[in-house]
Amino acid sequence: MSQRVLDVNGLQGGYGPIQVLHGLDFHVAEGEVVVILGANGAGKTTTLRAVSGMIETSGSIELYGDQIVGRNPADIVRQGVAHVPQGRGTFPELSVEDNLRIGAYTRSDNEVESDMEKWYEAYPVLYERRTQAAGSLSGGEQQMLAVSRALMSRPRLLLLDEPSLGLAPLIVADLFQRFGELNKETGVTMLVVEQNAQLALGIADRGYLLESGSIVFEGAADALMNDDAIRKSYLGI
Amino acid sequence: MAFPKQLAHGSREHKLYTRGAWVAFVLFVILVAFAYVDVGTLSIGDNNYNLSVTRLTKAVAFMVAILGLQVIVGFTGQLALGQSFFFGTGAYLTAWLVADHDWPVLLTLVVVVPFCFVVGMVLGLPAVRVRGLYLALVTLGMAQVFPAIISLQQLQEYTNGAGGKLLDSDLVAPSWIPFDGIAGFLQSLPLVGDFFGDGDLSSREEERLWKFMLAIAIAGVCFWMVSNLVKSRPGRAIRAVRDNETGAAVSGINLALTKTLSFGVASALGGVGGVIYVAELGIASPLDFSLVLAINFIVGLVVGGVGTLSGAVIGGLVITLIPDWSSATQSAGFLPERWLQGPTGAFILGVLLIILTFVLPGGIVAGFRRLRARFVQVMPPVIPGAGAATTSAEPPAEMTDEDEREPTPSSTPGG
Amino acid sequence: MELFIQRLFDGLTNGSTYALIAVALVLIFKATTLINFAQGEFAMLGAFLVLVGSTEWFGGGIPMWVAVVVAMLLTAVMAAGVERVLIRPFDPSDHLPLVIITLGLFLAINALAGIIWRFDPRSFPELFPSGTAFTVAGARLSWYGVFSLGTALLVMTGLTLMLNRTKVGLAFRAVSSNLESSQLVGIRTGPTLQFGWAIAAAVGTLAASVFVADPIRQLEPTVMGRVLIFAAAAAALGGLDSIWGALVGGLSIGLVQSLLVQYIGFIPSDMALATAVVVLLLVLLVRPAGLFGTKAVERV
Repeated sequence: MSQRVLDVNGLQGGYGPIQVLHGLDFHVAEGEVVVILGANGAGKTTTLRAVSGMIETSGSIELYGDQIVGRNPADIVRQGVAHVPQGRGTFPELSVEDNLRIGAYTRSDNEVESDMEKWYEAYPVLYERRTQAAGSLSGGEQQMLAVSRALMSRPRLLLLDEPSLGLAPLIVADLFQRFGELNKETGVTMLVVEQNAQLALGIADRGYLLESGSIVFEGAADALMNDDAIRKSYLGI
Repeated sequence: MAFPKQLAHGSREHKLYTRGAWVAFVLFVILVAFAYVDVGTLSIGDNNYNLSVTRLTKAVAFMVAILGLQVIVGFTGQLALGQSFFFGTGAYLTAWLVADHDWPVLLTLVVVVPFCFVVGMVLGLPAVRVRGLYLALVTLGMAQVFPAIISLQQLQEYTNGAGGKLLDSDLVAPSWIPFDGIAGFLQSLPLVGDFFGDGDLSSREEERLWKFMLAIAIAGVCFWMVSNLVKSRPGRAIRAVRDNETGAAVSGINLALTKTLSFGVASALGGVGGVIYVAELGIASPLDFSLVLAINFIVGLVVGGVGTLSGAVIGGLVITLIPDWSSATQSAGFLPERWLQGPTGAFILGVLLIILTFVLPGGIVAGFRRLRARFVQVMPPVIPGAGAATTSAEPPAEMTDEDEREPTPSSTPGG
Repeated sequence: MELFIQRLFDGLTNGSTYALIAVALVLIFKATTLINFAQGEFAMLGAFLVLVGSTEWFGGGIPMWVAVVVAMLLTAVMAAGVERVLIRPFDPSDHLPLVIITLGLFLAINALAGIIWRFDPRSFPELFPSGTAFTVAGARLSWYGVFSLGTALLVMTGLTLMLNRTKVGLAFRAVSSNLESSQLVGIRTGPTLQFGWAIAAAVGTLAASVFVADPIRQLEPTVMGRVLIFAAAAAALGGLDSIWGALVGGLSIGLVQSLLVQYIGFIPSDMALATAVVVLLLVLLVRPAGLFGTKAVERV
């Protein structure tokens, strides 16, 4: 089995006095796409925020064997985690180009420009609009920008929080296809949180099912896809 | 008897406790008044601290103004910080009516209250659209401008410009109050009699006492009305606006009306404070009502406790006595004299404002309540039949008997 | 005509100071949507440091412009400390405690200056050559006017370059735009905001020094209180988050003040302050984003 990028054990966390996560165990291996499914309020977003250090957490989160619980987000980014938050989290007043450049904030090598060229090639629409404010892009374009920005940091682990939110179905389908390609081409490890189970499982290797802050099911993507209970509640088929 | 003693809300004991506190308070006020009308100073080392009743009357004037801030900032949540503007307006209106039109001082309230109310509402109209910091900016700007308006050439004949407007107060102590008798009685008390000076009171002293008591009476009415307002239906609307504007709006609360009315009430209270102030001082001068006064009021608001009525009382005392006392302190041993001659009081108030925001966001009142909770706890009334649904819920650790939320500045340091 | 041009010159000269203080307000507002009510007092403190530095330090005082730079650095460090200790612990979206803290600073710094330096006005060293730079149709523009306008332009250009061309500038803009995402790309948001406070204080010190270097003015602790209101109006007019807006706003407020006092007879010079408050109110009511602002401004 390949190396574990992320190994989470007994993860607890929440907001102030409200505990959302009740001891999660999950892991993500090198090159994998892992999806965490769950309904609204199950704790999916909180899980990702815990991993990237945005909330107070307890338990164990190991990134390539390093304990990262209690570190601040800026440090965790430097450890190789890139997080695309829910609602995309672009910088609306900044130009598209500045958005990409800020993605490479933690890098000090001289390949930033060539990486930007790479994403411009991959998503020509970003190139066309590179001088425009990011806020003027469409939802789908902003999602591409957010993902490109995250990848500008050359992460070892990419966290995606509900990338489908607020996008039209056709665009979502296209987006997930691109995520799949991204994983195959660059080999970047991905942890995706989604409500749209069918699409997410389509590109995933493995999946977890989160309910009320606890993991209630885990398995290979096919197994989840074929589980009757999950099909009923999350796939609607 | 075990502490904390628990009292059921509305029970006989609770009423007794509340009334007892009030009686004690009134007695205390009378004692203080008589104690300090004559002697007036307290000596520590080489320093004489003035405690005369005139200062206390000034403090009462500030309390009423701060009460106004409590309404608009504490309860409605609008950052309208230019209370000195209305304080000055009230003071000048009274000065003008008394000096130029021979009105009795108390009668001027009939003009000041509605005038400040209306002006406050009109100036508050923009607040329906402007919020938060912008409102703070505009209102502080108004406070800054007030002395310039008063000094306007065109208003000179009414305001007497920079020289200040003198007025002869007609507030003479009525003969039916046996001031001398009370003073004599207090002086004859064993042990503590000395505190009350000696001999009969001069007519000047009687006048001071009378003004002080009138001030207390006016302030008492204001506090009573605000306390009723807060508990009433409009009061709930006001607090709903503070806590969640959108929520309040969708619950059918008229935001614009609620806000402008609170502005009116707050401004009227500012005006009343100004009337008390000028009645005591006998002169209104433009620089008394500057931005610094506005900021002092904010100090009073915060130091006492935002969103509490009793906080206004403490606040008024603090902003009167600290500058007074610190300028009276001419030697403090360890401090170089130079430090005591400048505006030390303002410095202390500024630092106090910052420190309290950190360590006691609810102000002194919250600190006091925490202390009191160790001795007396008031339990909410038990409503028969409503118990079933709530029995499992734990009672909150600490309760207060007032229909006020405790500390309003919700953010606490440490992040 | 001569009078009109003269008034124009006066307005632009005053306006450049308003613009500089306004841009200091803008820097902090941009990043935190907070108005630092103590900004003017920071600047006043800086100007006193310049005065003391150029007359007393090391016996006879250090060269004037060196004193300016040193004072800018000192106030920058002080502001950075204030940000770290007094501002950062609070939730930026809850305005009341932050307003209270900056007002407390206003009171404390003003009083501190009064304690240390007293309230008697002192004359300030001349930073610029005296005399008339040139005459247009009989109206005179002094060297002081030229240099204060020049300083404002230079500062705005410098700030623009810093924000648009440097990494820390990019980080600062990112933090202004989206705090959470800034953390997620690895920006240390605290120090970045602290940097904004430091720069704002340094600009303020420069502004106050230039302001009181006018031969007709003197330095005393209350000198910046009024300027802050003008600067706030200027910043609001320009759009509270726009650097160049602050320049345009500052110059406009300077012109409005100078022309109103000249042409509307009954407005005494003190009432110019009232015009600033009215401008402020009008801007917030009619166009809360100001002329060049981008940020969605809080209003109902």
